[in-house]
Amino acid sequence: MSLNDLRLLTGRTINQGIALEGGKTTKENVRAAAICMFDKEDFKKLDCLVGTPVKVSTDHGHVTVYSTISEEGPHPGIIFIPMGPWANQVVNPDSQSCGTPTFKGMKAKVELAEGAKVMDALELIKQLKEA
Amino acid sequence: MVERKIKTVYDVVCPFCGTLCDDLEVDVNIGDQEVIEVRNACQIGTAKFYSSNPSEHRYTKPLIRKDGKLEEVSWDEAIEKTAEILVNSTRPLLYGFASTECDAQGKGVELAEILGGVLDNTASVCHGPTLLAEQDVGVPSSTLGEYKNRADLVIFWGSNPVHAHPRHLGRYSEFVRGYFKKDGRNDRVVVVVDPRNTHTAQIADLYIQVNPNEDYELMNAMRALLRGVEINEKEISGVPIEGIKKLVEIVKGCNYGVIFFGMGLTQSLAHHRNIDTAICLTRELNDHTKFLITPMRGHYNISGANTVFTWNTGYGYSIDFSRGYPRYNPGEYSSVDLLMRDEIDASFIVASDPASNFPADSVKNMFKHPLIAIEPHETPTSAFADVVLPPAIAGIECEGTAYRMDHVPLRLRKVKDAPKECLTDAEIIERIIEKAKELKGE
Repeated sequence: MSLNDLRLLTGRTINQGIALEGGKTTKENVRAAAICMFDKEDFKKLDCLVGTPVKVSTDHGHVTVYSTISEEGPHPGIIFIPMGPWANQVVNPDSQSCGTPTFKGMKAKVELAEGAKVMDALELIKQLKEA
Repeated sequence: MVERKIKTVYDVVCPFCGTLCDDLEVDVNIGDQEVIEVRNACQIGTAKFYSSNPSEHRYTKPLIRKDGKLEEVSWDEAIEKTAEILVNSTRPLLYGFASTECDAQGKGVELAEILGGVLDNTASVCHGPTLLAEQDVGVPSSTLGEYKNRADLVIFWGSNPVHAHPRHLGRYSEFVRGYFKKDGRNDRVVVVVDPRNTHTAQIADLYIQVNPNEDYELMNAMRALLRGVEINEKEISGVPIEGIKKLVEIVKGCNYGVIFFGMGLTQSLAHHRNIDTAICLTRELNDHTKFLITPMRGHYNISGANTVFTWNTGYGYSIDFSRGYPRYNPGEYSSVDLLMRDEIDASFIVASDPASNFPADSVKNMFKHPLIAIEPHETPTSAFADVVLPPAIAGIECEGTAYRMDHVPLRLRKVKDAPKECLTDAEIIERIIEKAKELKGE
């Protein structure tokens, strides 16, 4: 099952903030920031349980994160990944010559990735080190 | 049972977000210098104080990567290695500085000038567009105390303080009782403009759901309506025209309004043009009533980093010293753009975690070259660094000055001692400066 024509937003959540102060390399950070929040109705279309891994793809990359239903909805057609290493695999690095990358509003698609591994922060960044 | 002697430090300033709450009380066990309780802080601020306690994630000794592994070394060896890397590089990037105090930021400017490097702070990836817009069109702004005492209309545009600045609403903008707003929340109208029905929106009086990346159009529609122009569209940016007219009537009808804006404007398409327009809208609203605007700054001392860099170089961020004098050009000398073009041949990171917070392709290029991190905890940046220098955490283990989001400077307190061998950020950079001068024969 997949969803196309979504818009990806990223940003701070309080759980992500607590997790990064508690240890950026911990499982708490994975639980707080390696997640993709869906609008309730969009999530029904995925036909899966909360927590099922999903692969989020944009023109700039892809990342596997856990799925969840947004508490800050309804926002049909919009998905949200908390700021952090997972979100930054798929954001638009283009700053339009102002210095600040476009962290919000990318076109995205989501596919179910049942059984896929969601990497922790160090595993994810290690891939960039070894690239 | 071991007897614990506890000291309580009052009026502590929280070194997490730009709200810089200054009413914290922190209990510290005097014997082992551990934080045992934090009162008045939000959940994130509390976590930051606890993070200073000993843990497997805390660095207590300088480390250098040898044969692929980080190994403990002496401060002299770590400083010498750092200075060698920086002096031998042709285009070093000095980045971070938002989560440390002003003295360390000033030392960072000095080091960048000596090295002829590029100096940048985290505004580069958050409120840099705000600085650009303020340089373009100025900014009608005020201190947070004024808003608390006077504002009867508060607009949060593209910001979600319930999550990002948890005590802002209680201290300055929504629930707090002000001198002229004695009934707190009941004396204020709160409006939220955001693509998501955020937790901040859920407790607002009016929520405007705007399409992602279309704030610019919505603000210009408001400006047109303010001037009496009829708009022949049913909706703008996903907002029905009637909703925009209602919002315009609300903003015209208030006595004292304020727009707090966040990453929703700076990190979406149009970037600084969004802020230009938001500031112009605010300015034009002053034809009808009193209106002001303030950015919701993230890191606790990012306003300080912009201020310190400006008083030293004339510019707030994205500063290139390669010609021996400071030049400023975001987009060219900004960290992510430099890294995307693979121009940097060494990175010196102070109190920041670009490996987590920069887009993936720029991180790949950063890792190609030597990386030095002044960082108290293990992060995706420090874990892959070549040199790790462990500092005392500013605002918890050493004093200093920090600037609140409204540019009010506050003195940070020391509540406990740092682990034995940790130096302050300023001391570390000072030692690197001395060594770099020595190596350069100055």
